[in-house]
This record gives sequence, structure tokens and C-alpha cells, in this order.
Amino acid sequence: MKEVKVEVIGPEPSCVRCQAAKKAVEKAAEKLKQAGFMVKVEKANIMSREIVQKYGVLVSPSIAINNTIKIMGRVPSPEEVEKLIMEAAR
Amino acid sequence: MKEKTKRNIRAGLILAFMFVIMGLMVYSRVTAKPSKEIFKEKLDKLGLWESPLVYLAIPALYIADYFSHAWICLLFAFSVAGLIYEFVPKETITRYMGRGKAVGYALALLMAPFLTVCSCTMVPLFGGILYAGAGIGPAISFLLMAPAANILTILMTGEMISWEIAGVRILVSVAVAIIAGLIVSTTPWGKTIEKEFQLASSARSSARVEIVKPPLDERLWSALKFAGYLAKQILPFFIVGLIVVGYLSAFIPEKVVETYLTGVTGVLIASVLGGPLYTPTLVEVALGQELWSKGMSKGALLSWLMGQPYDFANAMAVSRIAKWKVVATYMVIAWAGSVTFGLLYGFLSGSL
Repeated sequence: MKEVKVEVIGPEPSCVRCQAAKKAVEKAAEKLKQAGFMVKVEKANIMSREIVQKYGVLVSPSIAINNTIKIMGRVPSPEEVEKLIMEAAR
Repeated sequence: MKEKTKRNIRAGLILAFMFVIMGLMVYSRVTAKPSKEIFKEKLDKLGLWESPLVYLAIPALYIADYFSHAWICLLFAFSVAGLIYEFVPKETITRYMGRGKAVGYALALLMAPFLTVCSCTMVPLFGGILYAGAGIGPAISFLLMAPAANILTILMTGEMISWEIAGVRILVSVAVAIIAGLIVSTTPWGKTIEKEFQLASSARSSARVEIVKPPLDERLWSALKFAGYLAKQILPFFIVGLIVVGYLSAFIPEKVVETYLTGVTGVLIASVLGGPLYTPTLVEVALGQELWSKGMSKGALLSWLMGQPYDFANAMAVSRIAKWKVVATYMVIAWAGSVTFGLLYGFLSGSL
């Protein structure tokens, strides 16, 4: 099974909604790890050179799964993130 | 199939809730008596001045008074802001943000009011626009436009003060934002920053963005949640602000307002007070309304309202990305714009 990389992209210092997004991702990742998936959660700075170079302008919070932005400017539910990660792992 | 009906019902309920709010808004507009009752007169009528307790009661009375006629408007403004934020196609906008100057300016001006009701998205977007290669001009325009004409403030200005002022506020914000963007992008320090950031964008590959759209009921729900989040962020500061506004409204004599907040000096004073004096979002609308009913001229009122973009909190946040020279330049331009257009509007509307 492939490892799935999830990036939570927000400003530095983090804002309230980005923290909420990160929590949702972590919750989903925790659950999937127990089910045997390989998930790596990373936090990225929305204003860093690398991120803008990679993704362009973003609205925070954004979530990228395997280097593709899937969610922009909203806080998803853990279930939604779970589904997205499972799709990527397949 | 069952899942689908459940979702439809949920979406229907939320939509119904929105319609009720809109209906209440329309209803309150139709039935509203255009009462120009001033808070101080209400206090006089209540005959509270004999007891020293009045000093403690003022903030509570003022807040109760304010919310009794503004609650529906606030509810409406927050819900609309939430809905628009959720349904505006963010990924389309951000994709075009980096494509050339003209597109950058147009998007910055059109989109800033909808994307940035919350200041925590504003500074990152400013940085993003810079990095993505649109240049310092559009980035500055965006930065000035966002707090001056965001959807919340415009709705509240229109409903609580007048739609004429709200309209002028939008037009003047656009003008000042474009002028500031153009000027900053020709200054040597503006160009330095632009160059610094453009190095990064030249190597940019096509961005990989595939936004997942959740079903309608979830989107509506998250729009409401965002509205709630906004309210939680803004209302505490707003209420603290109202306490101050309550005291000012009870104790500033009309004479002082009529002397100092009219004419050319009035515009100058209002523009200086409006900026550095950090007023939390929406408080400037409440205080402006009070001062206006006490005799401030329309020109001074506009200058006062235009003070938002150059307050200190914004400037501090931006100076982390751009150099202080850029910050100083756009602050001076925003201030000059607020004075110029305040005078112009006062002159044209015959209320200077």
C-alpha cells in the first residue's frame, strides 16, 4: 500500500480555522492508521516560497493530498478527509 | 436513495432559515419608522440623570438599544457573508490571480470584498498574490480594498447609516486602492520587493488543484458555520467598542461635533482619528452613525469610514512581509485619499 501525504496549509502563526482543519485531518489519519493505512500529516506555511511555487495563491486553510489541493478555504469534517485519503491510497 | 432525501431535507431547512432571515430583513425595512431618536434623548426621557448609577447603566442601555434595532441587520450581514464566502469560486479566482497585472487588479478589487471578511485570510492572500507574480500593485490594491469595502461593513454601513454613503464608500475604496497600487508599484522600494518575489514565480509549474465539492447541504451548513465563526471573532470586540460608543454618545455635546467635525478641519480630524485609532470592524460604523446624528458632515463621515485600511493592526501584519517603506507609502496614500475624497464628497453633496 502506498503512503499518503496530507499537507495542511495555513498561515504562520496558525489561525483558528486552520487549527480546526488540522484537527480534522489528524483525527482522520489516526483512525486510518489503526486500520493499516500509511498516512503522513504535515503542516505547511501558506506564505512560504515553496508552497506558492507549488500550488499558486491559496485561501487558508487548504488541504493537499499527495501534492494536489483538494480543499480550499474551509474546514472539512474528519469523515470527509478520511474518504479523500482512502481514495488516494487506492 | 434515503441518504439523498435526508440531504435534500437538510438543505431545504437551511435554505428556509436563510429565507426567514431575509424576510425579516425586508419586513423590518418596510415597517421601520425612520426614527432619528438620539440615544442621549432617550436617557433624558428615562430621567436617569439624577442617580449616579447612570454612569454604570449607560453601556448596558446603549448595547441593548443598539441590538434592539440592529440585530436583524447583523444576523443578515453575517449570514450573507458566510454564504458568499462559501459559494464564491475561490479556486478560479486564485488561479487567475497570478496572471498579469490587469487581471490581478481586477480580481483584487472585485474579490477582496468577498474573500476577506476575516482578517486572518487577508495577509496570507496578500503574500500569495505577491509570490504568484501578480506584482506589488495588485497586492496593495487587494490589501486596501479588503477592509475598506468588505461585504460585512458595506451591508452594515448601508443599513445603519445610509446606502448613499455605502455606495460612495465602495467607489472611493476602489479609486484609492487602484491609485495606491499603481503608485507603490512605481516606487523603487516597491519594485525591489516585486523583484525579490518574482524570482520564485518564474519557476512555477502548473499548480495542481482539484477541489472536491461536498454536497449542497454540507456546503450550506458550512456557510452557516462560517457565519457563526465570523460572529464569534467580531462580536466580542464589537460589543467592547459599543461600550465606548455608548459613553461618547451620551457625553459628547453636539456643539463639539458641529465645531470640529465639519468643514475642511472636520475632514482632516476625522481622517486622522479614523486610522491610527484602531476601531474593531463594524465599530467604526456605529460610531460614525452616532457622530453623524450629532452633526458631523457627510464629507467627514466618509473620511472617518475610510480610515480602516491604514490602522495600525493591519500595518503591523503587512510589515512582516513587505518593508516598512511600502507600508508607509500605502498608508500615506490611503490617508491622502480619505482626505481628498472626503472633501470632494462633502463639497458635491453640499455637506462639508
